[in-house]
Amino acid sequence: MLRSVLTTLGIIIGVASVIVMSAIGSGASKQIEDQISSLGTNQLTIFPGSANVGGRQGGFGSAPPLTEKDLRAVRDGVTGVMAASGNLNGNANVVIGNANWSTQVQGVGSEIEQVREWSVVKGRFFDAREAASGAKVAVLGDTVANELFGAGDPVGATVRINNAPFQVLGVLAKKGQAGGRDQDDVVMVPISTARSRLVGRLGAPDQIGSLLVKVDPRYNITEVQADIERVLRERRRIGADKDNNFIIRNFAEFLETRNQAAQTLGLLLAATAAISLVVGGIGIMNIMLVSVTERTREIGLRMAIGARGGDILGQFLTEAVLLCLVGGLIGLTLGAGVSFMVAKLLSWPMHISPVIVLVAIAASASVGVVFGFVPARRAARLDPIEALRYE
Amino acid sequence: MTDPAGAPPASEPAPGAVISARHLTKTYQLGEHAVHALRDVSFDIQRGEFVAIMGPSGSGKSTLMNLIGALDTPTSGELSINGAAVSSLDKDQLADLRNRTIGFVFQQFNLLARTSALNNVKLPLSYSRDPAKQARGDELAAQKLQDVGLGNRMDHVPSQLSGGQQQRVAIARALVNSPSLILADEPTGALDSETSLEIMNLFRRLTESGMTVVLVTHEPDVAAHARRLLRVRDGRIVEDRPTAEGSLRASVSTPRPPSSRCG
Repeated sequence: MLRSVLTTLGIIIGVASVIVMSAIGSGASKQIEDQISSLGTNQLTIFPGSANVGGRQGGFGSAPPLTEKDLRAVRDGVTGVMAASGNLNGNANVVIGNANWSTQVQGVGSEIEQVREWSVVKGRFFDAREAASGAKVAVLGDTVANELFGAGDPVGATVRINNAPFQVLGVLAKKGQAGGRDQDDVVMVPISTARSRLVGRLGAPDQIGSLLVKVDPRYNITEVQADIERVLRERRRIGADKDNNFIIRNFAEFLETRNQAAQTLGLLLAATAAISLVVGGIGIMNIMLVSVTERTREIGLRMAIGARGGDILGQFLTEAVLLCLVGGLIGLTLGAGVSFMVAKLLSWPMHISPVIVLVAIAASASVGVVFGFVPARRAARLDPIEALRYE
Repeated sequence: MTDPAGAPPASEPAPGAVISARHLTKTYQLGEHAVHALRDVSFDIQRGEFVAIMGPSGSGKSTLMNLIGALDTPTSGELSINGAAVSSLDKDQLADLRNRTIGFVFQQFNLLARTSALNNVKLPLSYSRDPAKQARGDELAAQKLQDVGLGNRMDHVPSQLSGGQQQRVAIARALVNSPSLILADEPTGALDSETSLEIMNLFRRLTESGMTVVLVTHEPDVAAHARRLLRVRDGRIVEDRPTAEGSLRASVSTPRPPSSRCG
């Protein structure tokens, strides 16, 4: 009994590590996929890069800022751009009555709904006119709405943001976490309002912090990106031999790369687990060989009373497979337990796919067949006379 | 040595005999040397006989037992067990023949430890190619255990049984598939004399009800319980005669199975 448990330890550890690795790995990639879909696909983010002033390379964002004119040029001058919005972020304290909440305030255009594929569930979003005119209106993220109003309806209420009264027009749909940040902890106001009331000291009177562009899915995003780059280089008068002083980033693609990296890591870990299964299999083979030797007389007896070679082969193969399956099931339980604990303690997303469970069980059974075969065949080929005489 | 008594005709195997051997030889190749374990052995064993095979070690006694037990095939000569020509059978067919026809009893009992008496007795049925018999396994095994007087020990494992009881379990196992022949190799070698007597009496009762028993032993006391003695030396049968027991039985002409022969 103890010997069997020790023997299957290799399989137990192998299967458990497969389960833990894949649970954590696919949890991570599932999280990344969720982020990709919550950020919105076919979306480009453009922001000013670093400026080179007299040979001195400035920091990130030190280049001339993007402006409303850039935005219009991109939206109207590049085919394949469906919607575009500026984005100017600041932090502010939002107050209503006795309740207050510090949050991120995003100054955005009215097209942000389309760009980020993010709609309101209550009330409405501000329109283009409100966005341009500096109206004191706001749309609350789900978290902010909950913190300030609880179960109450915020639509129509007046909140004070940095001591200025804002009328609440609507509440955004819940989006969840992305990159460890609560995306719903946000208040959206028209970008013109943000510029005049919430963000101090601007480089240009119609500055937009960054430019968010939604690309029509019918167009090739790489080509659209190249067009945008050409338009902006022209507008910013960058010579043919100079580098861009702005950055265009495709976040979904970026995350996709990270996802692939996570999957590669997962594969690597799976390979490690496979090695440990093989080591476990060698342990099984070893113990089965010992068992065949120890039970030589029993094998002789079984043959004498009519067992064919095939019966003996089947018997020992079955024992090896059962041993491995029991080990596999223990490993599965152990792996699930460890994954659960890791998920709980490190608040790491965990996902055990049924496919991996089946693969783990099939793998341990296969280990039994592969490594049980040699000992089983040795047993089946014993000469009954010799076997009966074995001491 | 006396001439082999009642040597059978050296031609065709006798029809109806449980064992019929004609000019059996068995030669082992040990490196450069050929070891002639059996040289031209012929005999018949009829249904219901109780035969003891005796001989010193190295006489070819074990080789003969392996051939009778269908564990091995002869180098030349004809051997038929229950009408089946052994020489022409492959390994699987030999296994099936053993399963159907032969019940083995060993010196060391060879019971599976940690397995109940009932399941030990059932074991041969698990290799039976007859599904009906497999299905009736418990019933048949229980019946045979009762026949050997262990009806109340069915759930005991070997370590909970005495040597004599273990050997009786082994005999029940040999009987469970209704074989034509019980082949017992030194069945009393590990038992005290009193228990040995019990076992030999059990064998005798079996032959009286028509079972054929072949006993391999080197103890004259044990062989004396049989009714016919085959003595083997240097690979030949040097003696084939009824034992004192057999002669006694014959002389008082007690009713016996008609097939039983006495030298």
